[in-house]
Amino acid sequence: MGSTANMDLKSKEFALIGFLALIIAALAAFFPNLGANAEGNVDWISIPLVGFPIITGVILLAFASQESRTGKKKIAAPIRLACLCFSLIPLGISTALFFDWLIAVDWSTLGYNEYMLDSQYLWMESIGVSWHVGMDGLSFPMVWLTTFLVPITMIMTWDEKDGATYHPLLLLMGGALIGVFVSLDLFMFYIFWELTLIPMFFLILKWGGSDRRYAAQKFFIYTFAASVIMLLGLVTLYFLQPEGSGPFHGTITGRTFDMTTLFANAAAYNLGENVFLGLEMQKILFVLLMIGFLVKLPAVPFHTWLPDAHVQAPTGGSMLLAGVMLKMGAYGMMRIPIAIFPDALVYYQDVIMAIGLISLVWGSIVCLGQTNLKKMIAYSSVSHMGIILLGIASMQPLGYAAALFMMFAHGIISPMLFAVCGAFKHHYRSMEIGDMRGMAKWSPFLSVYMMFAWMASLGLPLLAGFVAELMILLAYWPIYGWWILLPGAVLAITAAYYLWSMQRTIFEGGDEGQPPESLNGETPVDISVHENIGMIILAVFTVIFGIFPFIALGMMDDWTVALFEGVFNRGGI
Amino acid sequence: MQTVSAFSPEFWTAFAPETVLILGLAALFIIPNLGNAKLRIPLTQIRIPWFFGGTRFGLTGAAHLPGLIAVGTLFSAFFLATWSQFDDSFTATVVVAGDIQLLKIDAFSRLFEIIFLGAVFLASMASLDRVPATIFEETDELVEMYDNRRQADLYLLMLTTALGMCLVALAQDMFVLFIGLELASFATYVLVAFHKETKAGTEGGVKYFIVGSVASAVGLYGLSLLYLWAGSLQLDVLAATWSTNGGETLPIVALGFILVGFGFKVSAAPFHFAAPDAYSGANSPVAGILATASKGMGMIGLIRVLVVIASPDVGAGSAVWLIALAVLAVVTMTWGNLAALGSTNPKRMLAYSSVAHAGYMLAALAAVGAWVSGDIEGPADYGTAIIGAVLFHLAVLVAFKLGAFLVLGLLEMEGGASRLSSLAGLGRRDPLLATSMFIFMMALAGVPPLAGFMSKFLIVAGLVKVGVGEMWASGGPVSFADLHWVWWLALALFINSAISVFYYLRIGVIMFLEPPEEGRRKPLPYGISIRITIWVCVVATILLGVSGDFLIQLCYSAAETLF
Repeated sequence: MGSTANMDLKSKEFALIGFLALIIAALAAFFPNLGANAEGNVDWISIPLVGFPIITGVILLAFASQESRTGKKKIAAPIRLACLCFSLIPLGISTALFFDWLIAVDWSTLGYNEYMLDSQYLWMESIGVSWHVGMDGLSFPMVWLTTFLVPITMIMTWDEKDGATYHPLLLLMGGALIGVFVSLDLFMFYIFWELTLIPMFFLILKWGGSDRRYAAQKFFIYTFAASVIMLLGLVTLYFLQPEGSGPFHGTITGRTFDMTTLFANAAAYNLGENVFLGLEMQKILFVLLMIGFLVKLPAVPFHTWLPDAHVQAPTGGSMLLAGVMLKMGAYGMMRIPIAIFPDALVYYQDVIMAIGLISLVWGSIVCLGQTNLKKMIAYSSVSHMGIILLGIASMQPLGYAAALFMMFAHGIISPMLFAVCGAFKHHYRSMEIGDMRGMAKWSPFLSVYMMFAWMASLGLPLLAGFVAELMILLAYWPIYGWWILLPGAVLAITAAYYLWSMQRTIFEGGDEGQPPESLNGETPVDISVHENIGMIILAVFTVIFGIFPFIALGMMDDWTVALFEGVFNRGGI
Repeated sequence: MQTVSAFSPEFWTAFAPETVLILGLAALFIIPNLGNAKLRIPLTQIRIPWFFGGTRFGLTGAAHLPGLIAVGTLFSAFFLATWSQFDDSFTATVVVAGDIQLLKIDAFSRLFEIIFLGAVFLASMASLDRVPATIFEETDELVEMYDNRRQADLYLLMLTTALGMCLVALAQDMFVLFIGLELASFATYVLVAFHKETKAGTEGGVKYFIVGSVASAVGLYGLSLLYLWAGSLQLDVLAATWSTNGGETLPIVALGFILVGFGFKVSAAPFHFAAPDAYSGANSPVAGILATASKGMGMIGLIRVLVVIASPDVGAGSAVWLIALAVLAVVTMTWGNLAALGSTNPKRMLAYSSVAHAGYMLAALAAVGAWVSGDIEGPADYGTAIIGAVLFHLAVLVAFKLGAFLVLGLLEMEGGASRLSSLAGLGRRDPLLATSMFIFMMALAGVPPLAGFMSKFLIVAGLVKVGVGEMWASGGPVSFADLHWVWWLALALFINSAISVFYYLRIGVIMFLEPPEEGRRKPLPYGISIRITIWVCVVATILLGVSGDFLIQLCYSAAETLF
């Protein structure tokens, strides 16, 4: 097993460029060839969307990990460039899908349990697993968000040490995340769900902070344990279906893991007064499934893995973790348990609302007590995820749309928050709020971005976060009336803390300012070009979705309406 | 189904893999001993060359030779066994001697043969490097190995183990099964103690031998009680007698004894105490055989006894072993996982993880028992689902458990793998090897999309299927209380899985995060055949996880022949 260390650098670069060319050529050849369908549709597009980042990520990782230390330094530049290019391809595909450039996609025509770009291929005949992918108004914004965040993360952390293995891991992470959102088969969903754990584990383990060993293991074990409980619920659900249902049911077991079949069965059974599987079983399965999703979200009291994981993770890891991975929990919640077990949802409505409220309040209040910048942002993430739970528990179309939009908006804002923290750590070598005063003097750009991100996070109007928070409050008023003052007050207090921490860090300190001691007297520098680029793009999109939320909200509204028609309003609820 | 008489010509062709093994054994006895000995005819001075003995020829005295003969034999046997499964003209064959059915060669037994032969083949290929025939470092230990006779000893034992295991797989008579079991066990005892120059090896071997012999003796006592009760040890006669007289005390007591005997082989708690010492004392390929093939041997014994014999067609009541088995399963998996958490020796850790995996399989057997005893009404595919899952689990265990032991074997070649810190810094020294080890650990933990996840998933699917029963058949509301208690075994399995992730992950953390030990900074020994074997295992782990459908179908169709 000779390593590639023997090849010289020139030939390695040629090899990489040749590899890139090969991939592009294969794609180009792919395009006309798969017009097997008479309408020339591109249903297969989800497969390269998922497979391409994963396969290229694995190949680049294998390539890079064999190098010696000096080899890795030399090969870092071409590899990260290759990773950036490879991550732009899925972004191109998803943006093209959004603008109807590849095919005519009309999200508003989708009813409940209907998907765009629906393609299904048999995978494991014996147990009824198929490679079933498709997107609808719930998953497409998440897919676009993931494809958008991966290149931004790469640009933000362009100079990360050991870049030769770091950037392929980010690529791999992106591919696995896309896989979670597009899969329409429970088995496939679970595989991608767990697959996301491994790159994140390595990102925290190798590039993390001083306590990274503990944080990485805690993250993995905690979320894995919750996922296997969810898997038990999924397998029980699988066997509780009628035999022979669905096109690809297993030859041995007679059942299928196909989500669309499951949803259709449940909906068909749930007409009128009937309750699919009976309320008792629904409640138990609902709890089993929700455990997995609540831990991922994370909801208090299962949130304790998040602060450790965030504080110890590198900037890129935090950006993807907060931006997309947490949304996996919310996505899973909305996709599976709510659609199949609406009666259990009604039964547990108050419990979920309580958990959401507690997350919101707890997250915000604990946030107030933090001195570590990154930990503060981590707890604010917890509180924003609580808002999503509130939306789900509201059982109103407005609440659901609010939850969806919060997922999306938080997915753009929190990477920016973590990017600011990362730049802070990178240039000031400290993340304590008390250490720095008067940052505006040396780092005007970072100060502007910090102000912007903080304002976005606390919900300033014209920025994306405000839309989501407003919608939630509007959805809650009809149900819970004056209870709404509690989250409102908490949001206000948190805003006050943000403003205070901002003011202290950026403006105080008189004319001279006060650089942190961790710099040992060096003059602080402002952020570098690539960090600028990354943050500007995130800022621009925050503004875009703040002023024109209907770009994303349109398909989210359509999906919510379809959900209510298909699941909730079937005469029972 | 054709019937063949023992030792007739058709027998040798039907018995093909074992024939090859016997020929290989003969070759190993004879060829390395060929020399220029001459035999003097008595009362004359004529000397005839009688090649057996004397100063050996260059070729036959070479130290590589026994290893190559053994690997070639095992590969041919493995190939013949596998090919017979894909050959359309394969029919089940029963080997008789007069009235007595001795062996049955059908899909079920062939699959077990494939597992056993595959495991021993991979281990022997790795032994080409682990027990090297060339000196790459002049230590006393290695000079011992560089001896053709010592090499021949090792491979003789490996082939004997393989032959014994195949006999167990094919047996239709409990006594033939016992003979095969003992043949394999004795060879294994010596294999564990093979490195007599080390203290750990001798201690492990002696412990394993003593405990194993006691367990075998107890098992034999149970068999003798069965014989007393039924008058014959033929599987079908026993099954028939059980279905009529199954409720008596004598067979149940006998079953208990047999459970002890096979439970030791499977390393179920509380019969597993010799396992950690044996695994850490043996060299890694041998420990790998113990963990995979030996476990399979115990499993097939348990399946034959518990499922085939103790399968009453009459209702419940005689399945008292069902509860015992379920309790044993949960105790085993929990004990194994908790003990592994505290281990600081990677081989002991893997031994305890073997114990835990045995627990998972025992849980599956308990579920079969629930169905078989009539606790749950259901068609034959319930039993097929579970036994098929157990078969799949045993098959893929060869890939990642043996693979993990082989990685440890590579570390042993360098200087020892008895502390967790031996693995430290592997991520830097040999990234591909560290990645392979991490893949094996993740497969053992049950992380998708690897084969270990698939096998754990299939076992759970079987458990849940039995737990759920026919609930949907009536449609409409189902009550949670209607779930058979077997469902809770699935929950226990998952909880244990979550516990186990900790120590599997710890290996990854140590490999990638910690700096290497003192004196272990150089690159690892090259050892091409052990590396090729590790690669084969990695590829198998990933492939069988992602597209293991053909193996699933093979296992399920093999399990079907049982019911």
